[in-house]
Amino acid sequence: MEIDIRHIAKLSRLRIDDSELSGYEKEMADIIAMVEAMPDISDELTVDPDNAMTLRSDEIEGKRIPRDEMLKNAPKTVAGCVVVPKTVE
Amino acid sequence: MKLYEFPAYKLSEMLRNKEISSRELTEAVFVRADEVDQKVEAYLSRDREAALKMADAADGMIAAGKNTSRLCGIPVGIKDNISTTGIATTCASKMLENYVPVFNATVADKLEAAGCVFSGKLNMDEFAMGSSTENSYFKTTKNPFNLGCVPGGSSGGSAAAVSSCEAVVALGSDTGGSIRQPSSLCGVVGLKPTYGSVSRYGLVAFASSLDQIGPIGRCVEDVALLQDEIQGHDPMDATSADRSYASLFDGLNDSVAGLKIGIPSEYFGSGVKHEVAEAVMTAVRELEKRGAKAVPISLPSTGYALSAYYIIACAEASSNLARFDGVKYGYRAKDCDGLIDMYEKTRSEGFGREVKRRIMLGTFVLSSGYYDAYYKKAKLLQKRIQQEFSDAFSSVDVIVTPTSPFEAFGIGEKTGDPLSMYAADICTVTVNIAGLPAVSVPCGYSAKGLPYGMQIIGRKFDEQTVLNTALAHQRAFGEFRRPEL
Amino acid sequence: MLINGYEVVVGLEVHAELNTKTKIYCSCRNSFGLEVNTQVCPICLGMPGTLPTLNEKVVEYAIKMGHALNCSINRICKQDRKNYFYPDLPKSYQISQADIPLCHDGYLDVIMDNGDVKRIGVERIHIEEDAGKLLHSDKFEGSLVDFNRCGVPLIEIVSRPDLRSAEEAKAYLETIRSILKYIDISDCKMQEGSIRCDVNVSVHKPGEPFGTRCEMKNVNSFSTVVKGIEFEARRQISELEAGRTIVQETRRWDDQLGESVAMRSKEDAQDYRYFPEPDLLTIVVPEEKVAELKATLPELPNAKIMRYVNDYGIGRYDASMIVDVIEKSEFFEKCIAAGCKSPKILSNWVLGEISKFMNEGTAIEDTKLTPEKMSELVGLIADGKISTAAGKTVFDIIIKEDRDILSIVEEKGLAQVSDESALEAIADEVLAANEKSVADYLGGKTNALGYLVGQCMKLSKGKANPGAMKEIILKKISG
Repeated sequence: MEIDIRHIAKLSRLRIDDSELSGYEKEMADIIAMVEAMPDISDELTVDPDNAMTLRSDEIEGKRIPRDEMLKNAPKTVAGCVVVPKTVE
Repeated sequence: MKLYEFPAYKLSEMLRNKEISSRELTEAVFVRADEVDQKVEAYLSRDREAALKMADAADGMIAAGKNTSRLCGIPVGIKDNISTTGIATTCASKMLENYVPVFNATVADKLEAAGCVFSGKLNMDEFAMGSSTENSYFKTTKNPFNLGCVPGGSSGGSAAAVSSCEAVVALGSDTGGSIRQPSSLCGVVGLKPTYGSVSRYGLVAFASSLDQIGPIGRCVEDVALLQDEIQGHDPMDATSADRSYASLFDGLNDSVAGLKIGIPSEYFGSGVKHEVAEAVMTAVRELEKRGAKAVPISLPSTGYALSAYYIIACAEASSNLARFDGVKYGYRAKDCDGLIDMYEKTRSEGFGREVKRRIMLGTFVLSSGYYDAYYKKAKLLQKRIQQEFSDAFSSVDVIVTPTSPFEAFGIGEKTGDPLSMYAADICTVTVNIAGLPAVSVPCGYSAKGLPYGMQIIGRKFDEQTVLNTALAHQRAFGEFRRPEL
Repeated sequence: MLINGYEVVVGLEVHAELNTKTKIYCSCRNSFGLEVNTQVCPICLGMPGTLPTLNEKVVEYAIKMGHALNCSINRICKQDRKNYFYPDLPKSYQISQADIPLCHDGYLDVIMDNGDVKRIGVERIHIEEDAGKLLHSDKFEGSLVDFNRCGVPLIEIVSRPDLRSAEEAKAYLETIRSILKYIDISDCKMQEGSIRCDVNVSVHKPGEPFGTRCEMKNVNSFSTVVKGIEFEARRQISELEAGRTIVQETRRWDDQLGESVAMRSKEDAQDYRYFPEPDLLTIVVPEEKVAELKATLPELPNAKIMRYVNDYGIGRYDASMIVDVIEKSEFFEKCIAAGCKSPKILSNWVLGEISKFMNEGTAIEDTKLTPEKMSELVGLIADGKISTAAGKTVFDIIIKEDRDILSIVEEKGLAQVSDESALEAIADEVLAANEKSVADYLGGKTNALGYLVGQCMKLSKGKANPGAMKEIILKKISG
């Protein structure tokens, strides 16, 4: 099983240096070889109605955390907003 | 016996009888950690002033007779992936080195309300990914029984702190064995509760469908006490089970007369060290002497559980950890050339190697064209494993296996080979896959004095039978054996 | 409709923000236009360890829309994660629905401008969360993120590729908007982005298989939908005519350029890695609840329009104009219930004078005008007791003051003359003074009749019943 580590890294927003590439390739190949031993099960995944959840009622939570507090962990903020490198579509 | 060595349930009585104060106890625990944590390195952060403030508040509550919780005034260590307001919660990752939550995890809220004292935040494998605590960005915790060995993981800090008496009890989290395996390696008792019995709100997610917070203590009673405090339905967690929970501590009973113990052959075969299997079977025979009956059973899909586990856990992790992108909180790389560059640099520099490998594995198994071959197959296998357990529990009350296939291993011994590290979880992952409760209790020691652990698995929400069996074993096997430090 | 022998095939994905009190997965206020990053909590900001809890109203609203679009309801379903990185998406995944949407396989009958009814298939309706907003400024190096909109509930309504022109697409969208308003689940404010649209366009020659489709994003108004489809269809046709093939791709509508611009090709298509959301369990809506939501559905706009046309004899265009604004149709129906004699005359008033008030922002309930008064006024006009012009004088008074209509008519001397002998006297006088017009009429210039009736009205100071007047004139000159 060949895994395109570069493609997977790109999807994961990770950058793999050339020096790390072969190491990751080998480890991933080992793991994939292990999981490929799983037996085939000819069945379909279904939604389990017995595993139902309780829905939340549509009521506003009064207790609020102030904006400064909410953004205090952000690496960069300006005018109550989080700043990121310019996004272009 | 030093104050910090007492079990929580005894300290609880002493606090209520005003024989000691919480301040006194908290001081003692902090002094103990001051003495030994340079060696063990279990804690990532401790705040004496804050803890003493909590202790004084607890003393006030006890004096006023206002608090009925048995854990009021007891210091509790908390794994560093459980959110605590105003206290750094790093997940032992560079990514969250400076992250300070603005909200409490539900369990932290519960402990605060109970009058517990936070003795500090405990080391772990980064984002709970690992079986040795060597994947912490900050430090490697040592096994108190042998400082050259790992404490297990990922809740290695929690198990080591309890074992070294740097904490009275501690919270860990368990996704594939992360409470039970380090408890086993550090000679303490650790419970992975039924999925849904403890709120996950505020637990930084590794694998949402498998993660569960649970207690670690030096005896079964303490584990029951802490579990009593944290279990219960939480409307903030949609996966939390809406049912009533009786006190496990009050229900403790060491009689195992008539108890049927399933012994699955698959957990005693190759891959499991002979001495470990022997120690477990010796413990089972002791339980038989007390009236239990051992029954051979089979859980045929066990061999595939590790594969299913890694696929499901990594798939969920790849998505859960995508939020660490340098935008809202946590680490952001310097000198970025545009958005994509910021994402890639931040995540490549902020995450350690094991985390990156699991993110990529998870991304791969979910990616277009591979979903059916991996993720779907793993989920179907999960259903089969659940069914096998459910069938087994129609004829037995508990299932007993080794917790870890081997005792604590040397630091650095397995870091180069992920698969040999993953093998440390072969006995524990099935329990998470099936969503069942299981406890690990010490059941023997190697020639070099390293603890072995026995795993007792129960029916869903039947923590009581699991802990009662563990208590019966504890009576037969003996109390906590303290490591020399 | 064919362009250069090609047929345009359009499918629409409509995203509508729901007007629930709180967001879809947390208890933050769901509202537009508040100060940046003030309507956020640890959950919608995706802070580590937080978990979603699903708002029950979101499920109910989506099912209502499902019923309105004749869908089957998956009362047992789940949610899935759609994974992609973008700064406005705090968790780096959107909680949505993949293979099992809440509603599926419905249809919508759309009344076209020419009165034809066209049935458009609805593939699915699912629930999901909205993302935040990126703010850009030339004064500033980076982009700013406002997370207020994160977690605002959305339904995505996906049509089948049944639309065949920009006009059909517009009519479909207008019908969808009207339904959303009628069942009161969305504010439908395009300028606030509460309805947004992705458009799929392809072209083919009739009889041949469908062409390769392009998806166009960022289509944020109904007029843009029309422009966008027209542009995209022409672009694709000219590509084909030039002997090139259409590449499957995602394009973005650029409103300033007035054209669609390529965003990414199929090869670069994002791999969203959908998988079931492990933080949520199964959505199970009891059968009784599904039935109850259907039973409480109000009469929908299309049915209303057809009823106005069939039962009240109102023109289809006028009917749709009334139905388009809920308040107008409510007032209209209250007047009918109050015994209004002529729905046709009433409709003119609702679309005329009453609309004027509403367009100025005045609610009818805030005036002195009641449905009873309006019915009485219409009755007087219908019976020929007062003229339409006199009716306007009465209307201007009764909208401001609570007064008896008959006493106004009397006080102002507005009663219309319908008495035959009085009308005949007027006719005689006018005919005598306008012999030339009479001759013109008899010579075939039929519009001379209007002039004569007008002269009669003038002589009567507007009080003559114009219908009766016309008959008398005709009788006299043809007689």
